[in-house]
Amino acid sequence: MAGDELRVEGLAKRFGGLRVFHDINFRLPPGEILGVIGPNGAGKTTLINVISGRIQPSSGQVFLGGRNITGQPSHALSRLGVGRSFQQTNTFRSASVRENISRAIRFSRRSGSAVGLDLLLRDFQLTDRMNEQSDKLPYGLQKMLGLAMAYAIGPQVLLLDEPAAGLERGERSRIDGFVAHVREHGGCGVLIVEHDMDLIRRLCPRILVLDAGYVLADGPPAEVLARPDVIKAYLGAGDEDEV
Amino acid sequence: MEQFSQAMIIGVSLGAQYALLALGFTLIFGILGVVNFSHGGFYMLGGYVAYSCVYHLGLPYPLAVLAAVFATGALGYLFELVLLERVIDDHLSTLMLTLGLYLIVSTAVLLIFGPVSPEFPFPVSGAWRAGPIYVPLENLVVLAVCVCAIAGLYALLFSTDLGRGLRALADDRDVAMAQGMRPKLLFPLAFALATGLAGLTGALVTPILSLSPSVGDPVLATSFLTVILGGLGSLGGAALAAFVVGIVEAYTSVYFGGSVGALVLFILVLVILVFRPTGLLGREIRGA
Repeated sequence: MAGDELRVEGLAKRFGGLRVFHDINFRLPPGEILGVIGPNGAGKTTLINVISGRIQPSSGQVFLGGRNITGQPSHALSRLGVGRSFQQTNTFRSASVRENISRAIRFSRRSGSAVGLDLLLRDFQLTDRMNEQSDKLPYGLQKMLGLAMAYAIGPQVLLLDEPAAGLERGERSRIDGFVAHVREHGGCGVLIVEHDMDLIRRLCPRILVLDAGYVLADGPPAEVLARPDVIKAYLGAGDEDEV
Repeated sequence: MEQFSQAMIIGVSLGAQYALLALGFTLIFGILGVVNFSHGGFYMLGGYVAYSCVYHLGLPYPLAVLAAVFATGALGYLFELVLLERVIDDHLSTLMLTLGLYLIVSTAVLLIFGPVSPEFPFPVSGAWRAGPIYVPLENLVVLAVCVCAIAGLYALLFSTDLGRGLRALADDRDVAMAQGMRPKLLFPLAFALATGLAGLTGALVTPILSLSPSVGDPVLATSFLTVILGGLGSLGGAALAAFVVGIVEAYTSVYFGGSVGALVLFILVLVILVFRPTGLLGREIRGA
């Protein structure tokens, strides 16, 4: 399963007079892992929401594999191969683990692209609990289930919104395993919005820093995180030690 | 003892009728997030469509019931597609629209058929007797049809892709859309399914109880009571609560009389909600 390149050109979003972000440009080639960081309110989740079709952009364009997908609703983008996860543990909570992933595979209608159910359950260590109702799972497994559902549609590009949020430090290695699996088997581009800098450093060979609605920096973590303007904007002038 | 047994059978029959209404009501709330104030109107309309088919078109009663289901389902489908869909995320607008539809439909029926209840007897008469127990056949027929309809609804919701999609939308609309579900395709179908069930109940029950343009008012109140007792948006809760309401109503009516029966029912629901605010099978809403 090879992915398509995601290309974002001049993307902007305003809510009335409030500008969330402006003139966002980047490319995410297949197989690349791109981390998006920035202070709270920088527009990271809104960026995912716009790219995935949950909300409409104010201007700018989004391309997937050269095809203009700007403003299409999320169900249409899902069928084109835009997979996404949510900050919260968004699963179908009245359904079993198996049913959750099964629905993702069925609904996507991406015949030939969707991933096999048994394979997903096995690879994401959910086989033993596949008959449990999803909201009865521990929080960490619910997050993994949400990621597995996003991956189950057989995405061309995968957008992960704070996958490590709410996880214990020990549980965060699951995210590493998930991304490694996607990189190995999926070949699609992965965009990760995350506050956990250790995780971003481990997983992302390239990061994009959003600040006050603009792209402040775009490049390798070592280079970007050493920039004084990034340290000042995102990490605070006195927090260099945490970088 | 025979009075006790008869009350139980009538209560179960009432419960099956309430279950059909409440399942439709809770489907619309769970999937669309809309409190459908026109639900009683579709019940009333189902009765009038069946009546018109039998007495003006000369159709046999079973066909008239089917016609009522299709007519109310089609009206529900068009109403959702053309009007409700435009304001689906605005709770106040959906409330006003559904209430407005109920007023329009009931006023139209009043103008066409007049305020007097038409003569519309159930086509099956007689009674089933087992020793001292006596149950009108019409109750048994209605019970059988309602049970079949409930079983069919559950089969649809739990064994078909359409049902899985509807339940997914009820669980979490954003996640369902991120998985490829199309609400604009499924919302009218869900609404049609629910209003068709209300029409079916109306076509079955109004020949036994009564048919008038205002017959939807108490139906709306009972549907509300039932889905709140069962837990808003819970299908299993709505079905369970419907049978609780039906059985309690039957026993209290038999032993204490109609008005005291309603009082007992409301007190019971109040007490249950004090100890289980989410209803019998409802769940707490997950916060952001």
